[in-house]
Amino acid sequence: MSPSEWIDRKNWTVAEGIDHLFKQAEHAKKLDKEVSSSQESDGIMSSENRQERRREEARKVFQIGVRWIQRMGDPSEAALLERISLFWHGHFACESKLGALAIKQLELFRAYGLGHFRDLLLAVSRDPAMIRYLNNQQNRKDSPNENYARELMELFTIGRGNYTENDVKEAARAFTGWSSNLRGEYVFRRFQHDYGRKTFMGRSGNFDGADIIDIILERKETAYFLTQKIYRYFVSDEPHERRIRQLAEGFYRSDYHIGNLLRHIFSSEWFYEPENIGQRIKSPVELLAGMIKHLRMSDLDPRALFGIQRALGQQLFKPPNVAGWPGGKQWIDNATLLLRLNLAAAVFKGIELDVNLRPELEQSQGRNLRGINATIDLLPISKLLDHVSDRDIYFALADYLLDAKVPPPPSDILSTRLNRAQIISRSCLQLMSLPEYQMC
Amino acid sequence: MKRRSFIQTSGLASASMLTPAFLRAGLRPSNSSRQGKILVVVQLSGGNDGLNTIVPFGDDIYYRARPSLSIPPAEVLKLNDYQGLHPALSPLRNLYDRGELAILNGVGYPEPDRSHFRSMDIWQTGSSSRENCSTGWLGRYLDHLPRDQHAYHALEVDDGLSLAMKGELQRGFAMSDPNRLRRSVRNPLLPDQAHTHVHEHHTVSYLYETLTRTTEAADYLYEQSGIYRSRQSYPIGRFGRDLKRVAELITADTDTQVYYLSLSGFDTHARQQGPHQRLLAQYAKGMSAFVADLVENDLFKEVIIMTFSEFGRRLAQNGSGGTDHGTANNVLVMSGGLKRAGILNAPSSLSRLDAGDLIFDVDFRRLYATLLDRWLGAPANQILNGHFEAIDFI
Repeated sequence: MSPSEWIDRKNWTVAEGIDHLFKQAEHAKKLDKEVSSSQESDGIMSSENRQERRREEARKVFQIGVRWIQRMGDPSEAALLERISLFWHGHFACESKLGALAIKQLELFRAYGLGHFRDLLLAVSRDPAMIRYLNNQQNRKDSPNENYARELMELFTIGRGNYTENDVKEAARAFTGWSSNLRGEYVFRRFQHDYGRKTFMGRSGNFDGADIIDIILERKETAYFLTQKIYRYFVSDEPHERRIRQLAEGFYRSDYHIGNLLRHIFSSEWFYEPENIGQRIKSPVELLAGMIKHLRMSDLDPRALFGIQRALGQQLFKPPNVAGWPGGKQWIDNATLLLRLNLAAAVFKGIELDVNLRPELEQSQGRNLRGINATIDLLPISKLLDHVSDRDIYFALADYLLDAKVPPPPSDILSTRLNRAQIISRSCLQLMSLPEYQMC
Repeated sequence: MKRRSFIQTSGLASASMLTPAFLRAGLRPSNSSRQGKILVVVQLSGGNDGLNTIVPFGDDIYYRARPSLSIPPAEVLKLNDYQGLHPALSPLRNLYDRGELAILNGVGYPEPDRSHFRSMDIWQTGSSSRENCSTGWLGRYLDHLPRDQHAYHALEVDDGLSLAMKGELQRGFAMSDPNRLRRSVRNPLLPDQAHTHVHEHHTVSYLYETLTRTTEAADYLYEQSGIYRSRQSYPIGRFGRDLKRVAELITADTDTQVYYLSLSGFDTHARQQGPHQRLLAQYAKGMSAFVADLVENDLFKEVIIMTFSEFGRRLAQNGSGGTDHGTANNVLVMSGGLKRAGILNAPSSLSRLDAGDLIFDVDFRRLYATLLDRWLGAPANQILNGHFEAIDFI
């Protein structure tokens, strides 16, 4: 939350807060046409041109990611919508190589991400970026490609152990012909579709992809699989079996209404218990967005943003594989932890970062991450502290910046040599350098 | 007393740099703090052209498929009447002749993936091309060890940690420059670990623990890296620097068992000849200096070096004087303790191809299984999630 939001909402009831989140999401702006539409490179292009085109598209995709992080860090944007979109991006992990396809997919998460899961899943199954990523344009009647059908069940809906190899084969047949054209639009290729009879999860019929989805959604295991994932993302890295079962039951009965599930979570008393607060390690993107929001950062150097995302292991539209970012403790190793803890000091220009990024596999030159050039604005935070005495600033800020208990302030913050502005800035920097700031 | 502290307390640090082998002769192995043998993994990133590395000069098909990219027979450093080394690999010739270099042909996996990222993931995780695995093979090796290992038991010379080194519970340690690492743990804002407060939350304590371990490791590695100075000449550039650092750490008896480093730039789609030859030269010069350091200190028998790339390249050259992504490739193994050396198996067939690509003969996980089981003494089946027959070279 930004400082002003925090002041506004301090006196709200939980119900008011939740309503506000959903209202914001409903009225969110459509993403402006952030990229010009991308044409597929055609066969006559030289390989140099094609490479140049690829680079150009990679830049567009990166820019879309940058704007997304900025929106996540912008208090006037719909926080819940951005969060759930990031969740779905990790769930339906997909690498987008064309700017136009990346934005299309993101619009899809924004349009359906809080509604009925079936609508979302159908839209994803027809999403050109996903179709390409999981090779469904090669899924044809005479030579089925099982990639999408397999991940649909293993990762997107029901999880391992709840279907057979034969189910994968039959589902793949049902999705034959779900393809995309050169303009990056979904097309159904009639002549590639297998109209024959399929047997899937014990049922038989002339199923197509939508029927397969319906059959999968009839299974309660699907509601459970999705709920535990949402619980991990919104509540805690530590699963709570009984609660997840209960939530999943409600989710199933609501016909997989995602917004309802979230309302249910947010209005549960346990959601506000200390054991569930500050329990998750922020993902790199969440960490960055949080810093932008807290410090009202602007003029952020995109190269620094790129470097940090890469060094910390989360590049938007470039998940490690279709299983998404593993998350939790997997974010942390000695290198990522040190960089995370040193980020605030770099933003406050207290230290220079000095990280050599290895080259990407197809490149020969690495990059250096030296610093973060950004403007920060501590005025909103200072307003928040209007009625707080100098001595209490550190704790008041801790209350705002962290979801965890904090160690006592270093003695120099309480020394009388600092003026008020210095105390505020020192306290922010100190608190944001704590491991506790990595948690949410 | 450990030798490191012996050297430090007796003021012999500078002398030891000059006479490491002499000191070693009397003191090892009983005073060594390190347990067991050392594995060094060298990753050639970008897809090294194996056919222009270990050259099948005895096959006309090779010359027909690569009219302007092939290495003329006269220039090939012949190992037998069919395969030989790229001339830039001449520094490795000695190793080969001494029985310290083994070449494995046709290493790959079924249903090969030609994306750099995907194929590298497959190699680093040690999984099949059908799985999505989020832990690395060396990370799982760490997972299986007792919990009280040092943070630097497996060390990657880089500012970031590769997937290969990430386990479910344990991770390797990333460090490219000990000075830099020490500076970054010395940010005065980082919490004072002497009064780390009590955390009721498990996950926060995990972060504090990691920080403490990192700080300790940074101090230790900083000290270790100052104990021995190599006198070999390594090639200029990052790879040479990294190798030298590893040689110095190993010679200083650092308590690290696995080292991981990489050399990038092998994605040679266009005008391959010059860049590829420079990369191979850099590689070979680096390895030869590295081995010389180990030999001088009588350590080469305890170290094995495996070099791999995420895939090889297609047999035929492309229209831009380069080669495109391929499949099976050679893997190079070097050690003073090889049971079998030289070319270990038949070369990949150039006439029996899969849509222009070599067909793999040896699953890369057999190599991992061999290293895990016979070199590191670890339960390979468990770590690789299946049985892969060992290859008989160590």
